[in-house]
Amino acid sequence: MALHGPRPIVEPATALDGEDQYLVAKAVASQDTTAFGELIRRHQSQIRNFLRKLTADSFEADDLAQQTFLHAWDKLQTFSGRGSFIGWLLKVAYTTFLQSKRKSKRYAEVLDEAGYIAQMESRSYTQSTDEVSDLDKLLAVLTQEERAILVMSYACGLSHREIGDATGLPVGTVKSVIFRGKEKIRTSFDIKDHQHG
Amino acid sequence: MTSKIINMAEKLKDAEDRLLESLLQSTPIADDGFSRRVVTQIRRRLWVRRLALPLAIFVGGAISIKPATQIMIAATKLMTVVPQGMFDVPTGWIPQMQIVVLGAMLLAAGMLGIRMLEE
Repeated sequence: MALHGPRPIVEPATALDGEDQYLVAKAVASQDTTAFGELIRRHQSQIRNFLRKLTADSFEADDLAQQTFLHAWDKLQTFSGRGSFIGWLLKVAYTTFLQSKRKSKRYAEVLDEAGYIAQMESRSYTQSTDEVSDLDKLLAVLTQEERAILVMSYACGLSHREIGDATGLPVGTVKSVIFRGKEKIRTSFDIKDHQHG
Repeated sequence: MTSKIINMAEKLKDAEDRLLESLLQSTPIADDGFSRRVVTQIRRRLWVRRLALPLAIFVGGAISIKPATQIMIAATKLMTVVPQGMFDVPTGWIPQMQIVVLGAMLLAAGMLGIRMLEE
């Protein structure tokens, strides 16, 4: 299989989905790690970008991306092929991210109990990066869930239904979370004025 | 009909949506060996999984071979004893059992250890 070069984050759901499904079938049927490697090459950029936006830490995001692909390999036979493969992968990535957050929260609680300052928990989204970009400021006003859903929608190009599948939320809730997130951004940054000026 | 309207509404993007889209867009990240690292890790895990069971059987077998042979000998002795007196347990029987239990526990611990290493 030819090695593909860098792709834009939003990819049209065309023949790529078919190729993905062929590679998934190949990987599942014969435990073919080469086929799965090709799937990783195709989607690593999107997954890493998604996790970087959620964590605001490229090292943590890359670790989580690695775990995401390991989990994806373990659960590959559960991919039904009904939605897009990237949608399914984003679901795995989001679950991995939430699990990691829960673990670090538990760790912080243990540290708290031991009398230490739980720096990990108190560290805010924006404080975790040295350079705070406009995007970081924008994402910092959102909750974890809003951030994930807005990134899935606007950066990864998933439909509301796909986001619902990935997050386990009903489509109506996804829409209201997007609406709420946009409202927060609008009020925090006066985005309408920004686009004209 | 309703779903078509919903789908259309989903596709209609206003200026705000386009601005958000452009803000959230990211430049593609180069692979730089990322996929190779993940595949290597998956292959290693596959090997560990393939080796775990035979290895556990081998280790468990090696541990339990001595007590197993001893218990076999004790059992053959017991077979000769049983017709004479049903409740006459040979003196060596109870200690042998302890060794077997110890062997089984070691086997279980070994399997758990291998599983933890794999994880």
